[in-house]
Amino acid sequence: MSAVAQKSNMHGYEQLTSQPIANLDNATIAHPDRLDAIVRVLTCGSVDDGKSTLIGRLLWDASDLPDDTRATINRSVDADGVPDVSLLVDGLVAEREQGITIDIAWRYFDAGHRRYVIIDSPGHEQYTRNMATGASHADVAIMLIDARHGVKRQTRRHAAILDLMGVRRVILAVNKMDLIIWSEEKFRAIERDFQQLVRRFNFIEAAAIPVAAKRGDNVARRSDQAPWYHGQTLIERLSEVSNRDTAINAPFRFPVQSIIRDGLDFRGLSGTVATGSIQVGKSVQLNNSGATARIRRIVTMDGDLDIAVAGNAVVLQLDADYDVSRGAILAEAVQPPIYAQSLQARLVWLAETPLDTDHGLLIRTSTDLTPVSSLSVTAKLDLETLAENPATICLPNDVFLADISTSRPIAIDRFSDVSETGCFVLVDALSGSTLACGVVVQAHEHVLKHPSARPSFTLSVAQLEREICAGLSSSSDEFHRRANAVARILESAGLSVDIKRD
Amino acid sequence: MTKSFSHLDALEAESIYIFREAAAQFSKSVLLYSIGKDSTVLLHLARKAFFPQKPPFPLLHVDTGWKFRDMIEFRDKTVRDLGLDLIVHRNEDGAARGIDPVSYAPSLYTDVMKTQGLKQALERYGFNGAIGGARRDEEASRAKERIFSFRSANHRWDARKQRSEMWNLLNGRLGTGETVRIFPLSNWTERDVWRYVRRERLAVVPLYMAAERPTILRNGQLLMLDDGRLPLQPGERVVNRKIRFRTLGCWPLTAAVESESEDLESVVTETLAATTSERQGRLIDHDQTGAMERKKQEGYF
Repeated sequence: MSAVAQKSNMHGYEQLTSQPIANLDNATIAHPDRLDAIVRVLTCGSVDDGKSTLIGRLLWDASDLPDDTRATINRSVDADGVPDVSLLVDGLVAEREQGITIDIAWRYFDAGHRRYVIIDSPGHEQYTRNMATGASHADVAIMLIDARHGVKRQTRRHAAILDLMGVRRVILAVNKMDLIIWSEEKFRAIERDFQQLVRRFNFIEAAAIPVAAKRGDNVARRSDQAPWYHGQTLIERLSEVSNRDTAINAPFRFPVQSIIRDGLDFRGLSGTVATGSIQVGKSVQLNNSGATARIRRIVTMDGDLDIAVAGNAVVLQLDADYDVSRGAILAEAVQPPIYAQSLQARLVWLAETPLDTDHGLLIRTSTDLTPVSSLSVTAKLDLETLAENPATICLPNDVFLADISTSRPIAIDRFSDVSETGCFVLVDALSGSTLACGVVVQAHEHVLKHPSARPSFTLSVAQLEREICAGLSSSSDEFHRRANAVARILESAGLSVDIKRD
Repeated sequence: MTKSFSHLDALEAESIYIFREAAAQFSKSVLLYSIGKDSTVLLHLARKAFFPQKPPFPLLHVDTGWKFRDMIEFRDKTVRDLGLDLIVHRNEDGAARGIDPVSYAPSLYTDVMKTQGLKQALERYGFNGAIGGARRDEEASRAKERIFSFRSANHRWDARKQRSEMWNLLNGRLGTGETVRIFPLSNWTERDVWRYVRRERLAVVPLYMAAERPTILRNGQLLMLDDGRLPLQPGERVVNRKIRFRTLGCWPLTAAVESESEDLESVVTETLAATTSERQGRLIDHDQTGAMERKKQEGYF
């Protein structure tokens, strides 16, 4: 059940007017050597809802903005002496000239013992793909609405995208409360609508906060306009929200990034523990054949570790030489990933052109890149009704379901089981551009036969050496260039191509 | 026993991950080494990423001929001590034409000696992945930058053509003629860089620490005279002042601040408490609004 924050403020009312953010100020000025957490906050809403003003307010009231920046902003006060804090989130010249916002901007500030990363995604143009991009990084999302208009279609769409991308904590900032004269009745009605809405999704925290960003009411400073509101201010909420569950208790996953060698004696696997943990002496499963190895050493430049946990970037040395390379995911034999050749996935189409199934596609999962042998759209998600309507095509910004087959098995998880290794992007084999992102709903070890399955083709180094790369060393740049050129021509003709480098 | 991650641990791990992705995905990478504190942190992270192996790419310094002498000395000692490969490239054509920061506008000088110089070097050696120390907190156009930043065949940056980066999946597949700039420090702030310098006890160029140095006051900015190449204007007097630098670049374009912080510890304390942004000392950014955005479009890293 979603719990709209009703926690009463410990300080009661005495804080209402005087020294609004003194406690925060002290904490920021101290600039501790060590911050305890990085919290990534996605802001979604449109310019009309006052998004730039809200972010500007957070920076202005809660962060350690440089004096020179404050001086610049202070030059733009309105008739009431309120500085236009939205100027703090000013974008590119190209954007100002064209009156548009080009995708997401990243902003950083420290308050208390936390680093906040504000991921600002534009509200209107292309918002589905930008929101999806931002949401993939977010621990919490602030959904901004105009108090005069309440929960709208757009709010529902935003919630659906957040849910799809795995955001579990949301805050509804009901802005421009001053324009409805801080009406408790109206706020409570919006709050009820919101609670009803969030019940349809997998959110674990959902709070509604009445704010007026222009003057900073209930952003970083408790408003004296709403004595009926006993909940947290926006910054209080943010200071307590947990970051995305860094799943130390989830099954162990270690996507291999590269092989590290040192002389003849050392061969290690570099990577970052995606989830779970691993100890020296433990046994790990290497691939779909079920082969296992023991961890001999966990190496870092700061000395060997006994245990590596989610988030640690390390080099693992195994107890013998095994055939493991980039793209593999090490796991514990009791809870291995799925070695799948066929996936059912939810995707967001990011490209500006519609899906063309004749194009060569590659799928990037963790550290692996694999040719796609077939992709068929099965349904399109209606973000308002959340109905999955049968469909066969997909257009820019569409959210859809598809069946995907790969030319060889890939190590993957269901997003709902292990989100870190349950997501992927689709890459255009020819141009290299990122076309779509997706989360795995189901994964199967066998290829589901599909009539449109694309023929696949494996180029071997030996073949290349005999033909187009005759006389070239297989490690030379020219060899690489020619091999890739051949692969691209074949891929653009609709074949899925793999180059075997052994 | 598991100790909880501090934000620096998380940033360090993220940077190491990015370095390893870059090395795995690009056939010819190079680390853009500009000697300052960000480069120092970048290089340290590169060493951590590939340990016990050495970083699998050379360092590239685009030398304008106007770097502080202390910087060049520090650069040479660093690569010697660590046994790394260093490529020093200078735009000889620009140097022959006498393009210097004294007689030319900062924007033109930077374009010729830095941007063009960088492009020349990348092309001469055929690098397709150039790793740099840019941070998103530096400036508005940097705030929209990707970790893998794609550049067209003529090295141009187009904000509208950047690839979406989802979760931690980095797509480095190159299109024809494309190259990539890679930014492992994307999510670091200036304060993080200093916190990390202190935590890891990294050596930095002595110019970051306060000492008596010959200076002039010009347009309200303190400039240090590193040699005799900058002619004095009427009324200017060389005065020894106790100064240090928050950011290092070409010496006639980099302003100093007066400071008593003589050791790293007090520099870090002073920086953490600073109330002005570091790029205030970078005269090239003040040229015009959107200066960085324009420089990036033209191929500046």
